[in-house]
Amino acid sequence: MAEAVGRSLRRALLRREQMLVLAAAGAIVLLASALPLARLLTEIPAAGAAALGVLSTLRPWLLLIRSLVLAAAVTGCAVAIGVPLGLLIARTDLPARRALWMLHAFPMFLPPFLLALGWFQFLGREGFLGSQATARLLFSEVGLVVVLALAFSPVVTSMIALALLGMDASFEEAARVTARPWRVATRILLPAARPALALAAIVVFALSVSELGVPMFFRVDVFPAAVFARLGGIQYAPGEAFALVVPLIPIALGLLFLERRLVGAGSFAVAGLRGMSRAPIPLSGWRAALAAASWSVAFAGALPLAALALRAARGGGFGKLPQWIGQAPWTSLGTAVVAATVIAAVGLVLGHGAARRLRGALTLDALAVLAFVTPASVLGVGLIAVWNRPATSALYASVAILVIGYIARYAVVGIRAVASVVLQSAVHLEEAAAAAGARFWRRLVRIILPVNLRGIAAAWLLAVVFCLRDFETAVLYYPPGREPLPVRIFTLEANGPPPVVAALAVAQVLMTALVLAAGVLLVPRRRPE
Amino acid sequence: MTAAIELEGITLRYSERRVIDGLSLTVAPGEVLALLGPSGSGKTSVLRIILGFATPQTGTVRLSGEVASQAGRLVVLPEERGLAVVFQDLALWPHLSVAGNLAFGLKSRGATPREREARIQSTLGRVGLAGKERSHPGQLSGGERQRVAIARALVRDPRAVLLDEPLSNLDVGLKRELLSVFRDLLKERRTTALYVTHDLREAAALGDRIAVMEQGRIVQEGTLESLRANPSSGFVRTLLDDFASAS
Repeated sequence: MAEAVGRSLRRALLRREQMLVLAAAGAIVLLASALPLARLLTEIPAAGAAALGVLSTLRPWLLLIRSLVLAAAVTGCAVAIGVPLGLLIARTDLPARRALWMLHAFPMFLPPFLLALGWFQFLGREGFLGSQATARLLFSEVGLVVVLALAFSPVVTSMIALALLGMDASFEEAARVTARPWRVATRILLPAARPALALAAIVVFALSVSELGVPMFFRVDVFPAAVFARLGGIQYAPGEAFALVVPLIPIALGLLFLERRLVGAGSFAVAGLRGMSRAPIPLSGWRAALAAASWSVAFAGALPLAALALRAARGGGFGKLPQWIGQAPWTSLGTAVVAATVIAAVGLVLGHGAARRLRGALTLDALAVLAFVTPASVLGVGLIAVWNRPATSALYASVAILVIGYIARYAVVGIRAVASVVLQSAVHLEEAAAAAGARFWRRLVRIILPVNLRGIAAAWLLAVVFCLRDFETAVLYYPPGREPLPVRIFTLEANGPPPVVAALAVAQVLMTALVLAAGVLLVPRRRPE
Repeated sequence: MTAAIELEGITLRYSERRVIDGLSLTVAPGEVLALLGPSGSGKTSVLRIILGFATPQTGTVRLSGEVASQAGRLVVLPEERGLAVVFQDLALWPHLSVAGNLAFGLKSRGATPREREARIQSTLGRVGLAGKERSHPGQLSGGERQRVAIARALVRDPRAVLLDEPLSNLDVGLKRELLSVFRDLLKERRTTALYVTHDLREAAALGDRIAVMEQGRIVQEGTLESLRANPSSGFVRTLLDDFASAS
């Protein structure tokens, strides 16, 4: 009898294997991303009338408007830089396009306040090219917008370039038979890349609204800084922090709505580098001028990194690095690798599910998007509300909270990257395996994973880099004495020796560059078709 | 005798579009049925319903008398149906060797390593690919890939093999050669098969019977001779005229 029950239970579980695997991956997203957001909704009323009273004053609303205006300005500038550059890189005969793309994109993988720090070494009052006037410009809304636009424009460039490179060559070739290159670019290529542009703009806006390090460094008052100030320092009032995240929630929901409306299924757009080998559009007489302009933008993005290296070298910062760096790089690397591994595993299941339109996977994808576009301060406060309690204090006081926070914010990176590569592989490969008698787990491990290994490895690498660059979430709840490197640099920036701070920043740059280089070398080569 | 594959009153809709419209069909054990129809007639949808990758809104699918799908419900999962498939794009797993492609289904069935080895060797020998066990699909010619695909389908002794226009992208010479290989393999093993095609020559070369599909329905069913004797529609007449002129 018991044996029969066991057999039928096993059979029932096997029949639901796919659903169970999806549920397990979904549980991770729900626990990491959805629970903090849901918890906030219950904590806010409990914050008390006095705390909620902070919203009855004018100041937070003015700050919010200022943050939204600045984020819109950053997004506008990033789009203005990224769209033409993406088009030039993907589809024209601009010289050394790949090198240009790499140089331009690299700052995107760094915490933006590192770039602010670099610009300060150049244009601050005592900078290499600095004066009162340049310092005044830098420490203003204009400086903030320019620095963030240079930091985030590679997001637009890369998404546009990948969308154009992944596009079917016949679209373009059919148009080039009848129209001049400019018309082909503006009437065929860019409109076809509209979902990628919409997604890029949403990502840049969300990153800009979340940004904490650059505004604080440039002494520009923004909304996330008000939340941060109430979680530590002289304005400590956690109840008010809960109250202050209230206006940010509709903004996050609005961004999610826009993403679903403007991007939709295009968010899983098939991207690749096949188009790089296609005959490029000739720039003819414009080639030299456009090359000079494009390389100037790329150098402008990378210039602050050179300034940091120079400051560190001149002031002997590198020599003092061992005394100041502590455990921070290992904390950064360790937590990023663990979180990225979970993100890639979750991405494999949910990204595959989303690409194949499986029930539940698309909802979980939407949740992951919501967690990403939600201002980091909201997610951070939510994570504190969930995990900072006696029952979970051991976890909250350890590096595990960093891993949870990274998974919460960047799960979408794994899901979207894997969905994009799964869409490029034939569904028949999976169906042939199912017809051959393989259940879901075996198909996942023996067919879906190896067939898409290259893309999944790239998703893992991207997740590692996103976790490494995170500052604005981790700074809200990092465990004492176990801060990741970006947090350590930021906390030392106020009163540490400038050459040492610059050397720490260079260490962050080198760590990111090494991870990217190792990743590119280790990502498996494309198998012949 | 119980039919190997039986479809009864099948209807499949995508949104408002009716892809299969009250279709009924049987394939006897050991029979090769050619399902012939123009593009968009619903042939591939029929194949996907039998495999369990699409669930019909109405009707019943039975495999050896057992209900596999019924009116919006997937009763038997695709991996439990004991079928094999050869897709148009072949869907050979690129990361697995030829032997790995054949072993995959055998492992799912719980075959021992010795049994797997013996079956792989004999099947590859039969399709003329002895010595290619360690090659990967990317290292094979088009014809060799077709042979691997049919070997992968047959190595498990499936209940039935479903073939979805596997030869449609090949040149005439290779197509003729592989048709002969397919026919001999299916006949000597007495394998039940459903061969989906839009080419009457392929249907006539392989099928014991031919079922002609148009707009989601079977419009005529029988041997090539019975189709010739009494073509039921303009489409069938056109096919027969083309076939006669090509012959």
